Amino acid sequence: MNDRQIQIVLDSFWPLFEAALKYTLPLAISSFAIGLLLAVLTALAQISGVRILKFIARVYVWIIRGTPLLVQLFIIFYGLPTIGIILPAFVAALIGFSLSVGAYGSEIVRSAIQSVPKGQWEAAYSIGMTRGQALRRVILPQAARVSVPPLANSFIGLVKDTSLASSITYIELFYKSQQVVARTYEALILYAEAAVIYLIFTSVLFVLQSYLEKRLGRSLSS
Amino acid sequence: MMLEIRNLHKAFGSLEVLKGIDVNLEKGKVLAIIGPSGSGKTTLLRCINLLEMPDQGTMKLSDRELDFQPGRKISSREVTELRKHTGMVFQSYNLFPHKNVMDNIMEGPVVVQKKDKAQAFKTAQALLEKVGLGDRGSYYPHQLSGGQQQRVGIARAMAMEPDVLLFDEPTSALDPELVGEVLRVIKQLALEGRTMVIVTHEMKFAADVADHVILMDGGHIIEQGPPDQVINHPQSARAQQFMNRISGEDI
Repeated sequence: MNDRQIQIVLDSFWPLFEAALKYTLPLAISSFAIGLLLAVLTALAQISGVRILKFIARVYVWIIRGTPLLVQLFIIFYGLPTIGIILPAFVAALIGFSLSVGAYGSEIVRSAIQSVPKGQWEAAYSIGMTRGQALRRVILPQAARVSVPPLANSFIGLVKDTSLASSITYIELFYKSQQVVARTYEALILYAEAAVIYLIFTSVLFVLQSYLEKRLGRSLSS
Repeated sequence: MMLEIRNLHKAFGSLEVLKGIDVNLEKGKVLAIIGPSGSGKTTLLRCINLLEMPDQGTMKLSDRELDFQPGRKISSREVTELRKHTGMVFQSYNLFPHKNVMDNIMEGPVVVQKKDKAQAFKTAQALLEKVGLGDRGSYYPHQLSGGQQQRVGIARAMAMEPDVLLFDEPTSALDPELVGEVLRVIKQLALEGRTMVIVTHEMKFAADVADHVILMDGGHIIEQGPPDQVINHPQSARAQQFMNRISGEDI
């Protein structure tokens, strides 16, 4: 690298890092929170005996899993305005990513719920609990532990996927790096720098993930 | 009568598991249900707290009466109401692994019966002392032996102050050296006059604690009466055959 390139890297590092902190992470965290709620509701709908709920949940998961996330984002941001629904980039991205987390997460939550032994339901029923009480007090707490490792993976995947939001003009880390490239024509250096910043964030998450798993592993060892 | 069952039928698909069972159990008495595996004894027990829903027949527990008919659904409110008055001890304990021993026992009284927490704690501690685990309240189930877990299971069932305690082969999952400690606790409860229904393979124990023994085979009661009569002097050929095989296994 020549002096100019080194200068570009140094000058752009903080703006890029800041974009990750201020735009990438908040989008990932808020859509994960909403998505998780959707995931639990969808999983509960799927294991419920109510046919119409089951059907709605199944169609939702089918559509979201069966179509590209990028296409979903384009429909929400560029498509909906033609029928009068105009959303800011952040809101459009939030909706798109939440729906995605909800659909994929529901599979994780559902299989976690189903991994809790039948005897736990029976023990809860035997002390007079209703189905709702059994779910809340006995089944979901155990399912939550089982679903932490795969959900942590989803979150790390989500942090990376937020780069897709750049395509609907949400100015996060990747969009920011594209702007710098447009100015400096240093595509290799700038995109590599963006990759490094993603790597910094995901590495922190990897460490957190293994810490969480160790803690859960301890309390689950039986 | 504490428990009265009339003409109880239960089928799983086309497999008829209970073919018209009658049971009478007075308050304070112990009923043991024995029989070969597949005879329907566990299903009968699970029908008493509606973990299995009978297809037909009537059941009266204390002053609550339920009438089962094909196509007639018992409301979930009636189901939970009945379960609040029964306690169940499972073969594989089924303690809540994410809660410590004390919380396992307090869960029913606090969450279901809405009892005062401090009061529930006191009761739970007394129950733990009774089953010999007064110092284990803060332990988690996986930190206990099988025998200890099962004694916690008994304390959890008792915490609901049930009209009847149901035991589903409570010692079948235990290592042989741990069976005694659990049986001693159950026997103690029998001496205190608890009404209990026990499904068991332990013939000597059944003979020891039960007031009445039911021998089941193929979904029918084939022999019943006082333990000495059913276990030592069975009348029917099928019952004699079963008892001979069991006593053969004892040797």
